[in-house]
Amino acid sequence: MIWQIDIMILTLIVICGLFAISVKDLLGAAVVFGAYSFLMCLLWTEMGAVDVAFTEAAVGAGVSTVLFFAAVHRSSRQVKARVSGAMLYKGLGLLASGLMGGVLFYASTDFPDWADPASPASSHLSPHFITQTIAETSVPNIVTSVLADYRGFDTMFETAVVLTAGLAVLIILRLGGCRTAGPIREKNAAIQAAYKDSIIRFVTRMVVPFMQLFALYVVAHGHHSPGGGFQGGVILGASFILLAISYDLKMALNRINEKAALLLANTGVLIYGGIGFLCLLLGANFLDYSILHRILPATDEIAARSHAMLGVEIGVALTVMVIVMIIYNNIVSNGSYEKGL
Amino acid sequence: MINTLTIALMIAGLFFFLATTVGVLRFPDFYTRMHAAGKGDTLSSLLILVGLALYNLHLLSAGNILVTIKILFILMFIFLASPTATHAIIDAGYESGIKPWANENNREGQDDLAD
Repeated sequence: MIWQIDIMILTLIVICGLFAISVKDLLGAAVVFGAYSFLMCLLWTEMGAVDVAFTEAAVGAGVSTVLFFAAVHRSSRQVKARVSGAMLYKGLGLLASGLMGGVLFYASTDFPDWADPASPASSHLSPHFITQTIAETSVPNIVTSVLADYRGFDTMFETAVVLTAGLAVLIILRLGGCRTAGPIREKNAAIQAAYKDSIIRFVTRMVVPFMQLFALYVVAHGHHSPGGGFQGGVILGASFILLAISYDLKMALNRINEKAALLLANTGVLIYGGIGFLCLLLGANFLDYSILHRILPATDEIAARSHAMLGVEIGVALTVMVIVMIIYNNIVSNGSYEKGL
Repeated sequence: MINTLTIALMIAGLFFFLATTVGVLRFPDFYTRMHAAGKGDTLSSLLILVGLALYNLHLLSAGNILVTIKILFILMFIFLASPTATHAIIDAGYESGIKPWANENNREGQDDLAD
C-alpha cells in the first residue's frame, strides 16, 4: 500500500463521483461511472484485493456500464427539466444523505486501523484461513476457498440473488405487458437498419472465441489465481453481449435463446445446491465437501473439497453468464427482443 | 541490457502518452481528437507493455516466462481492440452527423455531411 497512489486514486474517485451526479447528459454520466468503477478497481488492486478488483473490472466497469447504456438508449438521454418543488426534494435528499453519511463517518472512527494485526478481523478467523487453507483444501487461492468452501452457504445465496435479479428484470420488462418499442428516434432506427460495419464484426468474430476461452480459464483456474465463477461468468456473458451489440440481438439469441437461458440459469443454482444436498445424502453437513471423496474416484478428503469447489464455481458461472445476458437483452429491447443497440 | 531496453521502451511509451494527451486537449474537433487518442493510446500501451514483458524476464524462470507470455496476450488484445473501438466511436460520430473541422479558407468536404 503506497499512500501517495491511494490519495491520487481517491481524489480522482471523488471527482468522478461528483461529475457523474452533476452532468446533465445521462450517457456521459454512465461513461464517467464506468471510469469511477475502473478507479475503484485500481484501488482494490493497490490494496492487494485482486479478486475484488477483478470483479469490479468485469462487473462494475464492464457489464454495468453496458447495462446503463442500454437503459439510457431505451429511455431518455437528458435529465428531466425542472419540476416544481425539485429544490425542496433535492434539499431533503441532501439533508438525509448528509445525516446518514455523517453517522457512517462517525461510526468509522471506531474501526481498527487498516491491516491492524490486533483487530478482531485479523486475529480470529483470518489466521486460520491463511495458515490452514492449503492443508485443509489444497487450494492456493485463499479467497476462492473462503468463498466457495468455508463460506459456501453465503455464496450459494449470492448466486440465488443473482438469479432473482434476472428473474425480476424478466418479470418487469418481459411479462409486465409494456413490450413497446420505446422512444427511439427515427434517425437512429434508420442508421441501425443500414449499419453493417465489417471491421467491427470481423474483430468481434475473431475476439469472441478467445474471450470465452479466457473466461473458462478464469473459472477453472480460480483455485490458483484471481478469478472464479462470478468473474468468469460475467466475461462469458459479456462475450454474448458483444455479439449482440456488434451484430444484432437476433444473432445472440440464436446462440442461446430465452428458454435455454432460463434453463441454464436454474441449472447453475441447481448444481450448487445439488452438491450441497449430495453431501447431506452421504451423511455429512450441507456443503461439507470432504465427504464427497466417497463418490469421486481417486481423491482423498482434501482433494474432494478442491474438486467440489470447481463444481460449485461452474454452477455460479452458468447462472451469472446467463443472467447477465437476460438482463441485457430485456433492458436493451424493452422486453420485446426485437432490436438491440 | 534488459534494464536499458526497458527504460527506453517505457520512456518512449510515456512520451507517446504525453503526445496523446496534448493531442486530445489541443486538436480542434472530434475526429482529430479521436485520431490522437486512438493512435497514441495504442502505440504507447504497446510500448509500455513490451517494456514490462521484457523487464519481467530479468530472472529467467518458467513462471516469469509464463507471465511474459500473458502480457504479450494482453498486448495482442489491445492491438486488436483499441483501434476497433476508436473506429467504432468515430463511425458513430460520423453517422450522427458531426462535421469535421475546417479552417476559414477550406470548406471542402463540409457539405457532404450537411443534412
